[in-house]
Amino acid sequence: MSTHAPAAPHAARPLGIDPPGTVHTTHEHHELGFVRKYIFSTDHKVIGLQFLFTGLVMLLFGGLMAMAIRWQLAYPWTEMPVLGRLLFPETGGVTTPEGYTMLFTMHGTLMIFFVIIPLLTGTFGNYLIPLMIGAPDMAFPRLNMLGYWFWWPGIACILISFGAEGGGPAAGWTSYPPLSTIEAAAPGSNWGQNWWLLSLTFVGVSSMMGAVNYVTTIVKMRAPGMTFFRLPLSIWGLLIAALLQLFALPVLTAASFMQLFDRVFDAGFFTPTGVVINGTSPETLGNAAGGHPLLWQHLFWFYSHPAVYILVVPAMGFVSDILAVHARKPIFGYKPMAYSMAGIAGLGFIVWGHHMFMSGMNPSVGLVFMTATLMIALPSAVKVFNWLGTLWGARIQLTSAMLFALSFVSMFIIGGLSGIWMASTPVDIYIHDTYIIVAHFHYVVFAGSVMAIFGAIYHWFPKMFGRAMNETLGKIHFVGTFVFLNGVFYMMHQLGLAGLMRRTADPYAYETYAHLQPVNEFISLCAFALLFWQVFFVLNFFGSMVWGKRVGRNPWNAASLEWEAPSPPGHGNFDRQLAVHHGPYEYGVPDAPRDFVPQTQRLPT
Amino acid sequence: MIERCHRSAALLAAAALSSLACRFEPKVPELRYSLNRPAVDKNPDLAGDLGAQAQLEGALELMFGTPAGPRYLAAAEWLEGGFDPNYWGEDHVKADEAGWSALVASNRAAYRQQLAAIRAGEFDALDRPRFADDLWARWQALRADIPAGGPDAEYLTTADGQKVTWREEALFRFENYYPTLANSASFYSNQCYHCHGAEGGGNGSTSSFLEPRPRDYRKGVFKFTALKGKARPRHEDLFRVLTEGIYTTAMPSFRRFTDAQLHGLVDYVRLLAIRGETEGLLVSFYAPEEGLNFDNVRENYDLVVERWREASEFFITYAGEVPEPTSERIAHGRALFTTAGEKGGANCVSCHGPDGRGGGVSAWEPGKEGKEYAKDEWGNQIQPRDLTRGVFRFGRRPIDLFRRIYAGINGTPMPEHFGMTISENGAQRTLNESDLWDLVFFVRTLSTHSAVASHDGGHEREAK
Amino acid sequence: MAGLKHFLLRVLTTLLLLAVPVLGVWTFVKAEEWGLWFPPIVSSYGAGIDNLFYVILWMVTVTFVGTELLLVWFVFRYSKRDPTRAVYTHGNHTLELVWTAIPALLMIFVAFSQMEAWSDVKLNFPEEGPYTVEKPLMEVYASQFDWRVRYPDAQGNFQGADVIEVPYDITVPADTKVVFRLKSRDVLHSFFVPVFRLKQDAVPGMEIPVWFEATQPGDYDLICAELCGWGHYKMAGRIHVLPKDEFDTWLAAKRAALYATE
Repeated sequence: MSTHAPAAPHAARPLGIDPPGTVHTTHEHHELGFVRKYIFSTDHKVIGLQFLFTGLVMLLFGGLMAMAIRWQLAYPWTEMPVLGRLLFPETGGVTTPEGYTMLFTMHGTLMIFFVIIPLLTGTFGNYLIPLMIGAPDMAFPRLNMLGYWFWWPGIACILISFGAEGGGPAAGWTSYPPLSTIEAAAPGSNWGQNWWLLSLTFVGVSSMMGAVNYVTTIVKMRAPGMTFFRLPLSIWGLLIAALLQLFALPVLTAASFMQLFDRVFDAGFFTPTGVVINGTSPETLGNAAGGHPLLWQHLFWFYSHPAVYILVVPAMGFVSDILAVHARKPIFGYKPMAYSMAGIAGLGFIVWGHHMFMSGMNPSVGLVFMTATLMIALPSAVKVFNWLGTLWGARIQLTSAMLFALSFVSMFIIGGLSGIWMASTPVDIYIHDTYIIVAHFHYVVFAGSVMAIFGAIYHWFPKMFGRAMNETLGKIHFVGTFVFLNGVFYMMHQLGLAGLMRRTADPYAYETYAHLQPVNEFISLCAFALLFWQVFFVLNFFGSMVWGKRVGRNPWNAASLEWEAPSPPGHGNFDRQLAVHHGPYEYGVPDAPRDFVPQTQRLPT
Repeated sequence: MIERCHRSAALLAAAALSSLACRFEPKVPELRYSLNRPAVDKNPDLAGDLGAQAQLEGALELMFGTPAGPRYLAAAEWLEGGFDPNYWGEDHVKADEAGWSALVASNRAAYRQQLAAIRAGEFDALDRPRFADDLWARWQALRADIPAGGPDAEYLTTADGQKVTWREEALFRFENYYPTLANSASFYSNQCYHCHGAEGGGNGSTSSFLEPRPRDYRKGVFKFTALKGKARPRHEDLFRVLTEGIYTTAMPSFRRFTDAQLHGLVDYVRLLAIRGETEGLLVSFYAPEEGLNFDNVRENYDLVVERWREASEFFITYAGEVPEPTSERIAHGRALFTTAGEKGGANCVSCHGPDGRGGGVSAWEPGKEGKEYAKDEWGNQIQPRDLTRGVFRFGRRPIDLFRRIYAGINGTPMPEHFGMTISENGAQRTLNESDLWDLVFFVRTLSTHSAVASHDGGHEREAK
Repeated sequence: MAGLKHFLLRVLTTLLLLAVPVLGVWTFVKAEEWGLWFPPIVSSYGAGIDNLFYVILWMVTVTFVGTELLLVWFVFRYSKRDPTRAVYTHGNHTLELVWTAIPALLMIFVAFSQMEAWSDVKLNFPEEGPYTVEKPLMEVYASQFDWRVRYPDAQGNFQGADVIEVPYDITVPADTKVVFRLKSRDVLHSFFVPVFRLKQDAVPGMEIPVWFEATQPGDYDLICAELCGWGHYKMAGRIHVLPKDEFDTWLAAKRAALYATE
């Protein structure tokens, strides 16, 4: 089966770990207790699963908050069933205005920093990188473990912030000062905001540890023959996301500390002179002023725009892999796919100003940011056309994973195209901060990334647990999710065109918005159904762990390296010598004995 | 087997979902007015007696209803005399021709779509207006009765022989809508409740984060009125606060709503204030030997209602034009302002300070942590206004300042100045209207000449 | 049986994916009827902005329908059970060049077509006429949770006892290029008038000049478009556009009313 690569010399161990291609065939020195094996584990697979489970729980929290938001928008100031009494006991279950601002702030924060980033990079980054490049583990296994456990203080801080005096932070996930820096400005800007900033710092440190690890592992620990252009696109996506984190996260961490200094030591980075907020004037309390609120916006978006791509680039990689495997066809234009992901990431660093077209930033600069932003359409278009090219002439297997991947392509087209309006400065004057923006980023992040995560779970579940997920339930899950998510997010485009602002607790008192309640009610009902429909996923996910059909190493007949390992892989991952001979997408190969050629086998000449 | 399990689970889930969907029935939770806890705790006889508290709560509910159905106790003799407190607001607005036509115009604007639909006969296209449950109920009742002859059949004939069709009646109802207390209570619970609380105690969920604190109506004391003698506010005074807001506080302008809704809101606020004041009297005078009985409840209620009824007698009027602000007048105003009380001046300087920035010696009193600002009726620290900022919460017109200085500010150390004794040129006399104008003109020069920060920030003084 | 199940799955998937472009376009077609479309245009530059939106809308619709239909067709056509192998290709260099170049040209076209409209709204302020950046009609103050407009006194000063301050209601003349200064007392706010297609954040510490020319007398909503705290939803204002002569009368009456005594 496998070809014989020369055994790696054990003398050279540059990173204190086994060099690339080392194969562990013995396990006797790895007998570990329960705690070291499943809790404080240094095994990348266990850490990946820890991220997966924690991320899914956080997804449920974030989803429930979305439901609370949707209730208020559909039936403003009425008693919210179930959740209402928990969230707002003092009003008998009716949303309070400051509670509403807290809800959407925390919904955004949880979904971005505690769900999507950890699920994409934490879960699949950890699980897939060593397996797909043929390494026994991460380059720094202990750092990897620390990365997961540094996430927990972050979770703790964000949970504590709910209970802080004045409630959780309520200045939006963007935390624009002075609303976020001056305590008098909002109830949530008391201690809640400090906890929020601390939490972000911990999450940032956690992501940083992960990112360092991913880059090192991918650069240094590839199996023999695994060149950069033989890496699966998932790895390309994760590598690029890790690089984005490495370059952008320090800025966010610095900015968070500046905001923390503003709040705790009254440093005045972001506090302008002469404001009077809620009867308080910072200067008269002896605090520094003379800062500028726009400074935060620049720093924040310098991180957060690349972060938006951290939220989607790995998903693009997973989708490319899933499409190729289940379409039984090589990916169309492998190198353009890799280059376009790099292009999206590179452009991501010079477009942050498009979040600030209306902010009071010099309007001339807006023109530069507009042009740069529109250029993102190029790599995005290349990706979509290449996915379509991949499907052309394919032999599509309609598995659950494939359905989710197909829906990603379909939804990414919507999310991508609506971005053109936002990039165009004059059009953005009208649509800035309206629901069309909400529709846009939910189409990218929910209909895109979350659907890709579902697809990836269906695809790699057999590798993780040695059992396949139930296909019937998977398809039921897909159909409902797909229908309801479009029910939730599509009409938001039209709401945005009607001018509806985001973050408005009760829009219907405005003449402009008075007629929008029925649409919002429809959206909310779809949202409740969407959350409810995930029951099928939960049943399938946990049920299949116990009752799922047992599968072998390679249930999908896939060509990439992770399918060479046992399912689930043991400690050290591979029980065979690995040598890579070609790229990961050799499907439908003519003259080969089967319709795919694993990376470890030579292509027929 | 497992397949079947999955299938039945799917069916169950779908059934649960659909039953859930059918039961979506948003509702406003039923709330009751609760007692003024701090006040109750101050009366030791009442604080320990749960039975008496329940009795008091019941008495108040009998008199004022619940947030879902608020009402006044209408005494029989009042009704005989043609006075029904439950129709207080409506009578007031109707009495004023201009006010009434403004109301109709504002209703027309608010219900433009509905009116167009009624005119076009598209009765199904009518949307339920928010905060107008009563209007909607009356419309539906009318709708149900429209005869087979259609909306243009005769509804009634007026005394002077004019025929009114059903359609005209419907239009009339929308244009002349004036909310009931129950309508206004639901409006209040949407727009005011978060700060002012269900009983108007200024203790809503958001209130503890606001500076200055939201008004507690239950004392019946409202800072900004155009009345002398610490009178209860008139309908117009409260209406003005609703439409203008109180600048530099969290109280916004509510002009976005129709005049009718705001008038209704004023009526409801007045109900809450009367309820709170009555409660306050009952609580503070409660004695176990006497208990609660019809007489003392009624006596206190009458007392409070009478205070509110007589409010408009205290309106400060000024006949004639605003005088010319000559330099002599301004100089005289400055002299009155800056001269301390013991030297026979108007003593403004003692609180507002020699530069008018609000840092006078009497602005502070000893507190727990060194000096604190003097407290107002509600126990909150307050700052004398920094007059150089040109921000005046009751309005910046000369007449507004005139009334402010004339009557002072209720519930605060700012006293009534009209008739205050001063000594000038060795002779004792009282402050008259002309003196007040001089003060107004001087105060106005403060904001003209100060270097007000570009965005109106100004510099408030430090408390310590 | 298995074949039928597979066929049904193919049809279901195809229909689901087909519903995206079909319903997607349909809702956009019906949106105006449902009242989910742009409010009327009441400013001189509003039509220009809307036209740019429509240019992009057409471009986007063609791309959207084209790519989605291709996806639908590929999914239906190539999900057939077929024992033969897929087309074995790793890509096509020419195609890649084509589908990079076409969007590039389109995007450059979009970028250049936008610049003029943007400059009109945000950069080119009126230099002549009654109101200029140096001599604006009014100052608009945003604060938690109120809009206030301040008109200068008869001498044109924005400070002093005789300036006119009005909460909520902002009155402006029609068919006149109106310039105003936008300020904030406390946190960030945003001045958004949907019918003008105008939005500008108010930033504490900055005085931002804004201009518009209202073309139609009437009353319009002013909405705060930047999260400004717990009361963000209630931070409303109203723009009253009066015919030019009526506006002058109104302002004179307002100045006189300052000295009323009722």
